[in-house]
Amino acid sequence: MRQRMINVIAAGVLAAAAVPAFANGKVLNIYNWSDYIAPDTVKNFEKETGIKVRYDVYDSNEVLQAKILTGRSGYDIVVPTNAFLAKQIKAGVYQPLNKAKLANYKNLDPDVLAQATKFDPNNAYAVPYFYGINTLAINAGKVKAALGSTPLPANEWDLLFKPEYVSKLKSCGVSVLDSPAEALPIAAHYLGKNPNSNADADWQASANLFKQIRPYITRFSSSGYINELANGSLCLVLGYGGDLNIAKRRAEEAKNGQVLRVLAPKSGVMLWMDSMAIPKDAENVDNALAFINYVMRPEVAAANAKAVSYATPNKAAKGQIENKFLYDASIYPTTEIQQKSFIQLPLEAKTQRLQTRLWTEVKTRK
Amino acid sequence: MMSRLLSLRDSRAAAARPARRSAWWQRALPRGQSLVTAIPYGWLLLFFLVPFLFVLQISFSDVEIASPPYRALLSRAEDVVSLALNFGNYRYIFGDPLYFDAYLSSLYMAGVTTLICLVVGYPIAYTIARAPEAKRNTLLMLVMLPFWTSFLVRVYAWMGILDNEGLLNQALLALGLIDEPLQLMHTQLSVQIVMVYAYLPFMILPLFSNLVKLDGRLLEASADLGCRPWQTFLRVTLPLSKNGVIAGSMLVFIPAVGEFVIPELVGTPESLMIGKVLWMEFFDNNNWPMAASVTIVMVALLIAPIIYLHKREEKALARAAAR
Amino acid sequence: MAESSLHQAAKTAGAKSYLQIVDVVKKFGDNTVVDHINLSIAKNDIFALLGSSGCGKSTLLRMLAGMETPTSGKIILDGEDITALAPYERPINMMFQSYALFPHMTVAQNIAFGLKQDRLSRSDIAERVERMLELVQMKKYAHRKPYQLSGGQQQRVALARSLAKRPKLLLLDEPLGALDKKLRQQTQLELVNMIEQVGVTCIMVTHDQEEAMTMAGRIGIMSEGQLLQVATPGEIYEHPNCRFTAEFIGETNLFGGHVVEDEPDHVCIHSIELPRPVRVGHGITGTMGMPVWLSLRPERVGVSRQQPVVSGNWAAGTVGDIAYLGGFSIFHVRLDSGKVVKASVPATHWREEAAPTWNEPVFVSWTDNDAVVLTQ
Repeated sequence: MRQRMINVIAAGVLAAAAVPAFANGKVLNIYNWSDYIAPDTVKNFEKETGIKVRYDVYDSNEVLQAKILTGRSGYDIVVPTNAFLAKQIKAGVYQPLNKAKLANYKNLDPDVLAQATKFDPNNAYAVPYFYGINTLAINAGKVKAALGSTPLPANEWDLLFKPEYVSKLKSCGVSVLDSPAEALPIAAHYLGKNPNSNADADWQASANLFKQIRPYITRFSSSGYINELANGSLCLVLGYGGDLNIAKRRAEEAKNGQVLRVLAPKSGVMLWMDSMAIPKDAENVDNALAFINYVMRPEVAAANAKAVSYATPNKAAKGQIENKFLYDASIYPTTEIQQKSFIQLPLEAKTQRLQTRLWTEVKTRK
Repeated sequence: MMSRLLSLRDSRAAAARPARRSAWWQRALPRGQSLVTAIPYGWLLLFFLVPFLFVLQISFSDVEIASPPYRALLSRAEDVVSLALNFGNYRYIFGDPLYFDAYLSSLYMAGVTTLICLVVGYPIAYTIARAPEAKRNTLLMLVMLPFWTSFLVRVYAWMGILDNEGLLNQALLALGLIDEPLQLMHTQLSVQIVMVYAYLPFMILPLFSNLVKLDGRLLEASADLGCRPWQTFLRVTLPLSKNGVIAGSMLVFIPAVGEFVIPELVGTPESLMIGKVLWMEFFDNNNWPMAASVTIVMVALLIAPIIYLHKREEKALARAAAR
Repeated sequence: MAESSLHQAAKTAGAKSYLQIVDVVKKFGDNTVVDHINLSIAKNDIFALLGSSGCGKSTLLRMLAGMETPTSGKIILDGEDITALAPYERPINMMFQSYALFPHMTVAQNIAFGLKQDRLSRSDIAERVERMLELVQMKKYAHRKPYQLSGGQQQRVALARSLAKRPKLLLLDEPLGALDKKLRQQTQLELVNMIEQVGVTCIMVTHDQEEAMTMAGRIGIMSEGQLLQVATPGEIYEHPNCRFTAEFIGETNLFGGHVVEDEPDHVCIHSIELPRPVRVGHGITGTMGMPVWLSLRPERVGVSRQQPVVSGNWAAGTVGDIAYLGGFSIFHVRLDSGKVVKASVPATHWREEAAPTWNEPVFVSWTDNDAVVLTQ
C-alpha cells in the first residue's frame, strides 16, 4: 500500500504535464509517434463512431517507456517498437487484446504476425501498425565525387564500416543514429555476430568497429539529419528508412540538384515493427479496440501507408498502394533482404548498460 | 508542519462560532509571523525535500522489469518487513571514470559559464543600477525580454546563427573576412556561447538588485579619501556586492551543471556532461536507480559548497559578535 | 550695512586667508543654486555655513570637496587653485552626513582606508589609526563593524576617518544631524575640542543655528544661493544685517516702518504698529523716509505695570499668553495696534511684585541700544 502511494505521487511528479483531458465516456486517448497517421484518419473515425479522440505524439521510445512504466499514463492506445514492447509486456503494463472485437484482424499479413511473435508471443498484446528498416542513404553525386575512381562497394554497408570508403566521405558529411541500441546492433550484424547477443565480447567488437571509423563520423543525429541530408550538407547517413525517404522527397521537391538514394543493402538491414497496444490501466478499452479495428480496414491502412511511407502489415491494403512504394526495397524490403535482416529483441539490463557505456566511448573517442 | 496545516483547516471550521476563551486550536494556530516563515519552509519541504527523498530511495534500489522499473526497498514476506539497500549504483559511479569525467566537465563548463556571466553581467547590472530611475525599468525589461520566448526557440535561433550556413558565417563570408565557413556549431565554443546567453539574466538580476541598493555616498566617501574610480570599484563596490555576486553565481552555476538541452543541441559528441549521462541512464538504460544515484551525487556536489559557505558566514558573524 | 560690511572687510583682510572662494557660481540647468559667493577663511578657523535646506550650502560644500564643479569662479586652498581637481586629488576630507562608513570594514579599516591610498607603510598606518582611535576614544571598538556601533560612536569614527589623512581642510556635512537632540548638545563641544586638538581648518554645513553658534568661530548665513552675512556668532545675533538673518538666528520682534529722523549718531523710526517713534542709538546708511525693519530681541524687551517715564521706546498692551520656562518666561503682549510683542523676562525680575497675569494691562519698553534697524 505504502509502495503504491509512493508510486502514485512519483507518477504525479514525473508525468503531471501529460494527463489527458478525457477519462470517461465516449472518448479515446491515443499516444502515437509524430507524423505517423494520415491527416484525416482520426477525423473520419470520430465522425463515424462519435468517439472523441485526444491524439498526442512522441518522438522516442524512451519517452514513451518512461511514461508507460511510471503507470497511469492516461492513454488507451500506445505504439511501442518491438524490443521496447517486449520489455513492457514483461513488465506487465499491457492488457491482452480481445480479438473477438477485432474483426479486421484477418487483414493482417500472417508472415508479419509470425515475425511479431518474437517479441509478442502468440500476438496476445499488440497489433502491428507499421514496419520498416534502419538503413543507409547517400547523396549519389557527392559520394561519387568523393570516391573518385573507386566504385561503390558490393556490400553497401562497407561505405560506412570500411575506413577506406568512409574516410573519403568525411569531407561531405557522415551522420549516424545517436543511439547505442540503434547503431551497435547494425555493426554486430555487419561483423556476423548476433545482433541480439548478450555476450559482452560481441558488443566490444561492434564498438571497436565504430571506434575505427569514429574519426570520419561528423554527426551523431537521430532526427536533425533529415534537413542536412536534403540540403546536401551530409552525404552518408545511417538513419530510419522513413526519414531518409522524407529527405529524398524534400530534395526532389526543392529541385536543389541533390540526388539522394536510400539503400537497401542485400546483406540485410535492421528491421523494426511498431505495434498498437492497450495499457493495463486504460479506461476506454472498448473505444481503443474500435480504433484498432478501424485502422485495420484496408482503405484506412492504405491511406495511412501512403501518408507515412512505411510498410503496412495489412495484406488486404496492398492492393490500394502504388507499385512505386510496394517495389521500393527501402520501404518494403524484399523477402531476400528480410531473410538476411534482424529484428531487435530486449537485452539484459547489463548488456543494455554495456551498450550505452561503449557508445559513450565511441562518441567521446575515449 | 503537518499538524500546523491540519490545525489551520480546523480553525476555519471553528471560526464560525465566536471564541470566548483561547481554544486548543488557537494555541496550536501559528502566529502570523511564523506562518509567513512557514511558507518557504513548506515550499522547500514539498518541492525539494519530499521529491529528494523519493529520488534517494530509488537510488538505493535495483532495476527490475516492472512498472515502475525498480525493486521496492521494503518487502513484506509472512509479516516480516525486510529492507534491501543496494549500494551497487554508488559503487558503480565511483568505479567508472566516465561519471567522474562527466561531473568534472559539467562542473568545468558551469564554472566557466558562471565566470563569463559574471564578467559580462557585472558591468550590465552596474550600468542599469546607476541609470536614471525612469530608464532603469526599460533596461530591466530588455534583460528579461528573452524570457517571453521559449527557451528551446532561443536555442534554435542560436543554431540558425552559428550554423555553417548560418547568419554569422554568411555575414563574415559576405564581408570577405573568411573564405570558408567557420565551424562554430557543434563545438565547445558554441555550447559556451549559448550557455552564457541563456544564463546571463540570472546573473544580472540578483547583481542589479544588490547594486541598486549601493549607497552612492559610499562611493563619494571613497573618492574623498583618495580612491580613483577603479580603486573605489575594487575596494568598495565589489566587496559590498559580494552577496549579489554569490547569489548570481549560484543561480547560474547550479542549473548550468545539470544543463542538458544546450550541449545536446549545439554541443559536440566528444563532450559528455552529467545531464546527458542522466538522460542515458534514465532513457537508454531505463535504469531509474542508477539515474537517481547520479542525481544524488550531483546534488551532494552542489550542496556541499553551499553548506560550507553558509557555515563560514555563520562563523564570521559569531566571531564579530564575540568581539 | 556700511558698518557691518566694513566690519566684515576688515576682518577678512586682517585674517591671513587660507581658503578663498572667489565668485563661485553653480547652476543646474537654469537653476542657480550657488550665486556669486565670495568667502575667505583663515587657517584653523571653524566656519559654519548656516541656512535652511535648499539654500545652496551643501552644493557649496560639495564644490569644495570636488564632487561638483563650479559653473564659474575659483577655489584656492593654501595658495593652490584646486577648482579643477578631482575629489581624490584634493587635500580635503569630508565627514558625510550620516557618515557613509564602509559597512564591510571594521572601525580600524575604515580609518585606515584613506591612508592605504597614500601608500603609507604598514606601521605608519597602524600608528596613525591608533592615534585617531585615541583621539575619538574608540580604541576598544577598533574591530567592530559600523552596524555594531551607536550613532554617536559612528559619528566619531567618521570624524577619525576624515582626520586620518591630515587634510588641509575638513568638511563637515550636517555633522550631528543624525544624532538625537540630547546627544547632539553633548557632542557639539566634544567635536570642537577634537578638531581644535588636531588643528585643522574646518567648514561645516548645518541648518541648526544652535550647532553653528556653539561650534563655529565664524558663521556664514546663506539663503537662495547667496551669502547674506558672515560674522562671529555674537555679531550675527546682536547685529543682524538683514531681516532674514534676524529672523533666522534666534527669536525677534520685527516691526515694519520708515525713517523719520536720520542723524549720524541715531535714527528715529516710525512704525504704524507702535504708538510712537522708536529711537535707535546707531546711524544707518539710508535716506529720510526709506522703509526699514526694526528688530527687537525678546530678552531686550522689558515688561512692567508702571508706565515708563521716557518719551519713546515703549508701548502699552495686555498680556496674551505666558510661556513659563523656569528661569524665565515669555510674555506675549498684545499692543493696542494689534501687534503681539514677545518679551523674555527672567524670573528674578519679579522679586518685588507678582508677575503680571493674563489680560492684565502692561507696558513694554526698551532702550536706544536695544533695537536694530535692518535696511534689507
